[in-house]
Amino acid sequence: MTFSLTISPSDLLLLLPEILLTCWLCFILIIDFSFPRLPNEQLAYFSIAGLIATLGCLAWFDIAGITGTLFANMFALDRMALFFKMFIVGSTILVLLASIDYIHRFKFFRGEYYFLVMMSALGMMFMASANDLLSVFITLEFSTLGFYVLVAYLREDMASNEAGIKFFVLGIFAAALLAYGISLVYGETGKLVFSDMTAVQATPGLAIGFLLIFAALGFKIGAVPFHSWIPDTYHGSPTPVTAFLSIAPKGAAFAILLRMFFVALATFKPIWILLLVAASILSMTYGNIVAIAQKNMKRLLAYSGIAQIGNILIGLAAGTKMGSDAMLFYLLTYLFANLGAFAVVIAVSEAIGSEEIDDYSGLGRRSPFLAFSMLIFLLSLAGVPPLAGFIGKLYIFVSAVKEGLYLLITVGLINVVISMYYYLIVVKKMYVSEPHDRSPLRVSGSIKMVVYVCLAGTLAIGIYPQPVTDWVVSAILMFSNFPDPTAALPVPPAVTPFGG
Amino acid sequence: MLEELASTFPILTCILFLPLVGAAVLWLFDDEDMVKTSALTIALLELALSVFVLLRFIPDSAAMQFSEHVPWIPALGISYHLAVDGISVLFVGLTAFLTVLIVIYSWDTVRHQMKVYMMALLALETTTMGVFLSIDLILFFVFWELMLIPSYFLIKLWGGGAERHYAALKFVLYTLLGSVFMLVGFALLNINFHHWATLRHLEQTYSFDLLELLSVPIPLSQQVLIFWLLFLGFAFKAPVFPFHTWLADALLEGPIGMAVVLAGLKLGTFGFIRFSIPLLPDASKSETVVAITMALGLAAILYGAIMALVQQDFRRLLAFSSISHLRFVVIGLFALNYQGLQGSLLTMINLGFSTAGLFFIAGFLYSRQQSTQLGSFGGMAKRTPLLASYFLFIGLAGIGLPGTNGFVGEFLILLGAFKANWLYGGIAVTGVIFSAAYFLWYYERSMLGPLGKAVKDSISDLHPREVFIATAMAVMILWIGLYPSPFLRMMNGSVQALVDRLERGTVASIDSTQPVRVD
Repeated sequence: MTFSLTISPSDLLLLLPEILLTCWLCFILIIDFSFPRLPNEQLAYFSIAGLIATLGCLAWFDIAGITGTLFANMFALDRMALFFKMFIVGSTILVLLASIDYIHRFKFFRGEYYFLVMMSALGMMFMASANDLLSVFITLEFSTLGFYVLVAYLREDMASNEAGIKFFVLGIFAAALLAYGISLVYGETGKLVFSDMTAVQATPGLAIGFLLIFAALGFKIGAVPFHSWIPDTYHGSPTPVTAFLSIAPKGAAFAILLRMFFVALATFKPIWILLLVAASILSMTYGNIVAIAQKNMKRLLAYSGIAQIGNILIGLAAGTKMGSDAMLFYLLTYLFANLGAFAVVIAVSEAIGSEEIDDYSGLGRRSPFLAFSMLIFLLSLAGVPPLAGFIGKLYIFVSAVKEGLYLLITVGLINVVISMYYYLIVVKKMYVSEPHDRSPLRVSGSIKMVVYVCLAGTLAIGIYPQPVTDWVVSAILMFSNFPDPTAALPVPPAVTPFGG
Repeated sequence: MLEELASTFPILTCILFLPLVGAAVLWLFDDEDMVKTSALTIALLELALSVFVLLRFIPDSAAMQFSEHVPWIPALGISYHLAVDGISVLFVGLTAFLTVLIVIYSWDTVRHQMKVYMMALLALETTTMGVFLSIDLILFFVFWELMLIPSYFLIKLWGGGAERHYAALKFVLYTLLGSVFMLVGFALLNINFHHWATLRHLEQTYSFDLLELLSVPIPLSQQVLIFWLLFLGFAFKAPVFPFHTWLADALLEGPIGMAVVLAGLKLGTFGFIRFSIPLLPDASKSETVVAITMALGLAAILYGAIMALVQQDFRRLLAFSSISHLRFVVIGLFALNYQGLQGSLLTMINLGFSTAGLFFIAGFLYSRQQSTQLGSFGGMAKRTPLLASYFLFIGLAGIGLPGTNGFVGEFLILLGAFKANWLYGGIAVTGVIFSAAYFLWYYERSMLGPLGKAVKDSISDLHPREVFIATAMAVMILWIGLYPSPFLRMMNGSVQALVDRLERGTVASIDSTQPVRVD
């Protein structure tokens, strides 16, 4: 395979958001070293400004319809990649905003925190565009590198150290699986780019190779049975990092899964659907049942996150365009609800220094704003109408009913009831239990802003979801026309699903 | 049923959201009297709007009236579609009427957090109205689920019993369990429409709109599956025996206001007549479905009645009697003839006056004796003659004494049941006898005879606010009992359309290539 690298200025344009972010994070690092006395808030706002510029650039690409491929199809910029990039950058902005107060807990390297978060975001942006197995490996490891450090950032805290070790060991293990899987697939087919693999023959080696790759990506999204790192890592990490870890890498990994299943493995759809159905059922059931017993808010959200990933996998298991649209939609609702819930956890832990569910007693009286926001986020996660989560679940379930996946639907719906149970336990603590301490809580402005954005997102998508459905539908439409394996995606007979 | 009369002014939207907006406005007030007065004003305004709709409603028509239709999520065929027809219009009035009375009742019986209570109550009114007004299945589902949130807080925060936390959670989880199955049924209906529309290359390929779904044929096997999925959803809510256990807990532990809504507004059976029967006529009249629902119904009539007979607690008695009465409704529905359907609809409305009225009476008793156990009463008629007379009158309406509303409804149901099968009618009649037995026996032990030991010396008769509530109930009971024709005329058209639909089945619409456009 010859690899001639000629990059023209117009090619560089496709990389503009990534280049912008790279320059910006070097700039942040330089500023941090040059002005050690600079207050942290300033650095945070600098970083956020850079991210907002990147987001603006991505939005411009999306509106102007700038798409293309680079480096012999290694890097694909289509509307789906743009969706995921905006998803990642948007969540990074919110996470950085939510970190501003929390950062005082770090004794050292406060400036580097911003650098590492943005570096992970950069890695994930590349993940969203990864179009062959090599770039999957490189980008995935690049983004995880930042997380290895971030997870163990609370150096004095044993739990954080434990989380770091656990995440690192299992992460390396997953990377090894990925590398092994890629080598098997390459050995069997001699191909690396997803779109070249459409015509490959099924062989045992290929099957094992893809199973290993799926395992590595399953580790990334935290689907059962690759979830074992999640509870302890989420629990021990600094809370903003947990929030980041629970959202952005999921989106990036789903971008890869979508490309892998719909482009490279489109012909084997009947087989991988079974795999996904199994992973989805296990994730939903395990996550929800174990969440019932949790006493710690972060662990509860960790297990509920595993269950939510199971829900998203339903959309992937449907194996249709509608299912993928529903996945993108669901991810967006999950972003707002989950990040909002974590923002409330950060705010509460800043004020009372605890993340135990028991200490949320009487939150409704101590801080009506935080309690109400938490209520909305939890109900959205549970899928109560008319919040965003409900529309997301509805979309996912309709796409699966259409494919006749009744077992999956039944398990999914029973899980909705189970999840309602533990979300209501938290609600009961906040609104009915007597507080241990009646003093009102102080909430800082930056956290408030994150909560407001997430509230607005959760309510707006729930009440008027049409712009978002249009967006996700068009994001996946472009993907199917790109670069050649259009046959992989069964486009519904009606040209556009939003008539009438 | 497919015809629509749009209105120029979005009055149904006003009815739907006025209480919710009102609840938000209440948040601004701190003064308790101010809160109460504004809540009452909002409830009265809502009642006025509902009465206006009732007056302008064209009787003897099967058309959907005051229709409002805006696309909401076109990608999935979900729209914001509100309308009333003969089936739903009376429920709108009933909801507004009961809410006014609950606000009046709660005036001095709610002891803490009055503002939040009134907000929850008004929010509950919006969601209930939404259930009755929605023509789109998903919109219906949204309100159906949203009802749980104010209900949860009402039972949990203002319930009287020690087990209220358990009751609130049980209520939410049971209803949710049923409704997730219902959602699958809705999704199947949508997919069925999708297949049909795709074959005909229609522009719109997804729809959750009742009127559009009505125009599409559904294979019988599919219909039966969907019927049972919807059945689970409605049966849990109704609640139909054997899914009824949450009701007794919620009625007993929750506040009186919540009990009035749960017992007075028959959302579950409304779901049957609104969606199950018209959408799935072939399944509804298939032998197994009729046999199973009838068997469950007859079993529950007897079970509820016998359980009610042995209860010591008045609220528990009411809970079981309401299970027993509800089954009359189901018997009437699945008699699947004109009289049966009409009787069921009227009985659903009647229960809003008689059973809900008895719950108010239970509330009056509770606020006097801090208990509804039989042991705390006895010979009350001597001390509280007014209370005892209203108690008797509303109770007799519940039994179905001629001259009261209960008689008209039950008579029609029994007529329909006998017409369908004499066995159904025969067993259902025994339910009437049982209900007379348990009510009169309880009444005798609590109100008549020598004065009970536990009756407080300071006990007082009804005060003006309570008299107002009881009189309002009594007037409605007499009105429907003596002159039911205005109420029946409102239903006639829609009930006739439903009977026609049952005869034709969904197959009749196969010939039409275009769904009926309803813009």
